[in-house]
Amino acid sequence: MGHVMKLEGIEKNFGSIKALQGVDLEVREGEVLALLGDNGAGKSTLIKTISGIYPIDGGQITVDGKAAQINSPKDAMNLGIETIHQDTSLAPDLSIARNLFLGREPVTIPALGVFAPLDLTRLKEEAAKLLKRVGISKNLDADAPVASLSGGERQSIAISRAMQFFAKLIILDEPTNNLGVEETNGVLKFIREVREAGHSVIYITHNIHHVMNVADRAVVMRQGRIVADLMIKDTDLLSLEAIIMGAEPEELAAEMRGKAH
Amino acid sequence: MASATMSSALKKPETTSFIILVLVVIGFTLANDRFLSPLNISNLLAFMPELGIIALGMTLLLTAGEFDLSVGAVFAFTPVSTMLLVQNGGVGLELALIIAFAATFCIGALNGILVTKIGISSFLVTLSMLLIVRGASLFLTQGFPLKSWDEESWIRTILAGSFYVGGIRIYASLIWFGLLSLFALYVLNVAKVGNWITAIGSNRNAAVARGVPADKVKIWLFIATSMLAGLAGVISSLRISSASPVAGSQYELEVIAMVVVGGTALTGGRGTIIGTIIGVLMLRIIRNGIVLVGVPGLAFNIFVGVIILAMLVLHAKLHKSSERK
Ligand SMILES: Nc1ncnc2c1ncn2[C@@H]1O[C@H](COP(=O)(O)OP(=O)(O)OP(=O)(O)O)[C@@H](O)[C@H]1O
Ligand SMILES: [Mg+2]
Repeated sequence: MGHVMKLEGIEKNFGSIKALQGVDLEVREGEVLALLGDNGAGKSTLIKTISGIYPIDGGQITVDGKAAQINSPKDAMNLGIETIHQDTSLAPDLSIARNLFLGREPVTIPALGVFAPLDLTRLKEEAAKLLKRVGISKNLDADAPVASLSGGERQSIAISRAMQFFAKLIILDEPTNNLGVEETNGVLKFIREVREAGHSVIYITHNIHHVMNVADRAVVMRQGRIVADLMIKDTDLLSLEAIIMGAEPEELAAEMRGKAH
Repeated sequence: MASATMSSALKKPETTSFIILVLVVIGFTLANDRFLSPLNISNLLAFMPELGIIALGMTLLLTAGEFDLSVGAVFAFTPVSTMLLVQNGGVGLELALIIAFAATFCIGALNGILVTKIGISSFLVTLSMLLIVRGASLFLTQGFPLKSWDEESWIRTILAGSFYVGGIRIYASLIWFGLLSLFALYVLNVAKVGNWITAIGSNRNAAVARGVPADKVKIWLFIATSMLAGLAGVISSLRISSASPVAGSQYELEVIAMVVVGGTALTGGRGTIIGTIIGVLMLRIIRNGIVLVGVPGLAFNIFVGVIILAMLVLHAKLHKSSERK
């Protein structure tokens, strides 16, 4: 199986804080990769470097076998990487439809550059189609401002935005935070659908049950480093939890072998 | 369905502002029948577009989450430096205007760069710029007003010419204000960049994460606001044939008041050009009407302040009821 993205020796410092210290990671085609680790481990920082929010201080990013320069969110989007960030995703004062196309607005006279008029009919039609496709249960009006939506509805909108451009790699940073049970199941269902459609997903979460449920592989970070990389089918909930909490994967493996004897 | 449309229209801040504007006009007309006389309307229309032109730039800037306190100083600086170049530099009016507007462009660009690239709040940057620019005008003129251009010139005709429509004197500035309003309306509501402006003011990080060039947009908005303030200053000085270094004092506050009274949020994300036009009319009409109904001059600002506050309370209440947290 090929890989869609390969990271080698990624470094990122915030002043004296070494947030990422030589991260190596491969994202394979059509897999759901769970990115785990305690608070402050560097998960969000890692995906922010991939999505062009933070420039990297060292290392090499390869996308589709070619060395990639990701200096801005636009670069990442053009490479087929769509990200739903933990802290921010939507502009509450814009309508749902305008949020869905923010940064990639359909326009009628492109020659006018930034002054080009938005194609408002297309914007609305596509938004309505998209809302249907992600199966948002309630009848949402594409013209409603995002400020009037619930947290779960907002998250669904952010996810449908990531879906619409058929990104190769969709990154979700704690997408089920603040969501109810039903909405959370919706997100997990969406992750499976995305994999079935052949896209890859990086899924950041603190919920190990979700990981066991939807992920193919788990990567655990600690203090800016990757400390474990395992296939979900080769591990179980308790060992995964132990690694996140600080156990060394090798010791754990030895312990498991000891038990087996 | 009709009632739903009605109530959503009523929730729009500009609708409330408009209703209040109509009430204010009716009130003043009943209180003093000279209020709607051609002379009074001519007076209102002479002055209003000059503040209105600045308010358009300020609306876009506020929607993106920034504001500009240096507009009043720029309002004086651009015409003063133009006339200094003409009178002391022996330069033609056209060239002098080009040079003065180039300097005005730089003031806006500097505001924008300091705010976005250095990360100082727009309050501090533009407050300092107010002092620098006002100080420069005072120093260059030694505090004395200059005689403005009063010979015939095509520039004077298109910027400050006037004609009569049924006894009401219409200045060219009103037409400029109308055209610029249409353009601003288009930019904010229809153009791609308008989507960006609102997104930046609403949630800057989200906009940046979608590839919106937030800093660049803000810098250009600062430039546009300075240029509009300069244009308003030049129009004003041509109309009254004098370029004063103290012209436009406290216009920054008057303009910001007009914009927020119209329903644009000081915190960014919510801007309305229609609301601003209503706000400009409202503040001018209130100032004019209060004098006509005989409120003593010194009590004047009490009324204006109370009316502005009342409007803001109303907008805040309406906004709360339409949003959930
Ligand atoms: N912009 C920043 N400036 C300074 N330090 C930062 C910045 N962003 C992150 N850090 C630091 O880098 C480290 C990694 O943070 P990061 O947000 O990547 O953690 P995380 O794994 O996503 O944690 P969580 O699970 O709590 O979201 C932390 O020590 C954090 O304080
Ligand atoms: Mg995080």
